[in-house]
Amino acid sequence: MNATAIMKHRDAAVSDGENTAAGVTDAEAARLGFRLTLPAQILVLFISAFPLLMQLYISLTDWSPLSGIGWWSAWELWNNFANYTDLAADGRFWSALGRTAIVMLVCVPAEFLLGLALATLFMDEFPGKRFFYSVMLMPMMVVPAVAGYMFFMLFQSGGPVNDLLSSLTGFPVTVAWLSDPTLALVAVMIADIWQWTPLMFLILLAGLVGVPEDQIKAATLLGANAWQRFTTIVLPKMKTIIVIALAIRVIENFKIFDTLYIMTGGGPGVATETISVYIYKVTTQDLIWGYVAAIALAILVVLSVVAVLAMKRMAQGREA
Amino acid sequence: MKRSVPFETFRYVAILAALAVTLVPILWMVSMAFKPIAEWSATGADLTWWPKQPTLDNFRFIFGESTSNLIVALDRTAAKPIASSLLSAIFGTAIAMGAGTAAAYGLSRFGSGQNLPLALIQLRLFPPMAVMIPVMIMWSFLNFMDSWWGLALIYGIVTLPFAFWLMKTFFDDMPREIEEAALVEGCSRLRVFTRITLPMMRAPLASAALFVFILNWSDYLIALLLTTREWVTIPVYMASLSSSMTGQLYGAKAALGLIAAVPPVVMGIAIQRHLVRGLTFGALKQ
Repeated sequence: MNATAIMKHRDAAVSDGENTAAGVTDAEAARLGFRLTLPAQILVLFISAFPLLMQLYISLTDWSPLSGIGWWSAWELWNNFANYTDLAADGRFWSALGRTAIVMLVCVPAEFLLGLALATLFMDEFPGKRFFYSVMLMPMMVVPAVAGYMFFMLFQSGGPVNDLLSSLTGFPVTVAWLSDPTLALVAVMIADIWQWTPLMFLILLAGLVGVPEDQIKAATLLGANAWQRFTTIVLPKMKTIIVIALAIRVIENFKIFDTLYIMTGGGPGVATETISVYIYKVTTQDLIWGYVAAIALAILVVLSVVAVLAMKRMAQGREA
Repeated sequence: MKRSVPFETFRYVAILAALAVTLVPILWMVSMAFKPIAEWSATGADLTWWPKQPTLDNFRFIFGESTSNLIVALDRTAAKPIASSLLSAIFGTAIAMGAGTAAAYGLSRFGSGQNLPLALIQLRLFPPMAVMIPVMIMWSFLNFMDSWWGLALIYGIVTLPFAFWLMKTFFDDMPREIEEAALVEGCSRLRVFTRITLPMMRAPLASAALFVFILNWSDYLIALLLTTREWVTIPVYMASLSSSMTGQLYGAKAALGLIAAVPPVVMGIAIQRHLVRGLTFGALKQ
């Protein structure tokens, strides 16, 4: 998403320059432009520069809100980078990271394939399309925390999911979904797939509709079957859109917290503890904020590197 | 293109199956919200899929009216959490839309703030959890903890990327002729922006504002960290709807969940055609 959007923005900026070159040179425009962008600049600076420096500073100390000294005097608790060496050896952190990766590797492809399959069904007109389309989008608009409560109710051992399974299989099912380490993770992933498949569906359908129809018709005349048309014409045309859709879900799925935390609280034990849940727990229960700051900074650095690499890669792909 | 009968059948079967999966969780919550206690606390074989004796007891309960069937009383009603959610989401939207629209116009027309597109996307990339320590420290320093205005400020910043990108694509798409004509007439640029461009953009502005509102209204994590008691929002308050005597108050939770779920769903359907643009930072238009 990011790289493409930014590249589009650059293109737009270039053409802007051409369009308004005559008018924009005067000082009034420059002044107004500066003033208009100022509030956004201040907000960005307010939430990035200062907090990052503060985070870096605290991450080098043992400071916690219970230390009895203000954060600015945290240097008294300087600990020689111990937070970072602790992090490298923190098994709970690494398994939370691994679990986040597993959730992502299951959920994002599942959402993509289901969304794509649904989108292909919506490509041409049929009676009831608008209605079905609107209903299909509903899950992604439900407040994630509320979706969490919904699935918490559904997966109770005496709840409707087991009831449905009982009537399907014929004998009473009383699986304790949310207190079994494996099944709890499955339940959490089902909730994520339920909520975010519509997003894939929405974006991929927008892409499918944009595939030129005459090319598909031409291929049909040449004798290509539906599968061949799909793989040779539709998919290549959709490449950018697929990348955007996947990127959005990968980014958002990495942050997974609301539904999961409400359904399982990261439990049983740490069985569904993802990276956000882990940081949340260390922040609010263990209160070792110096250490949390170190974790958070490490994640920010890794994510930034990944993002820069991904954008470079995409920019190269575009030039080629 | 005329499709075959088997395909049409397959299509409807597949769509109806997807529809069922989509709707069952939502309908379950709706059903729970209107069930009396005997029905929402039932398990296993006693489960009813649809309320046999529909009641508004759950709604009365969360707004503090004592209902004879529930042995517990709430120490606080849902009214203030709803107010908190509303105030923080509305003012957060105002901050994001104000700063975002102005900056988007500044960039789109005058090329100012070239760093903003990338900076704002980075802001969106990072998990909120990873910047919350400094935010919590700053917010307590500013005395913003546990207040709707503190939430509104962070919401405004968190959703600024969406407001900015959405409005930027709308401004980029807008024809410049009218603005240029007004300039020739002797209008100042600021006047052109406030008197001509903004009124013309009323519909896109409304869509973008609704989109940003949905995002703010949907927050859980930030409110969980920044509010403790006085101004907790709906999802945070919902956790308190359980008691040691009766366990989880499913009916009450479902009722409040329904209240929380309705506004974004209605708004989302209203702005359907801008959803793709909003979700992809304007990279895709429907």
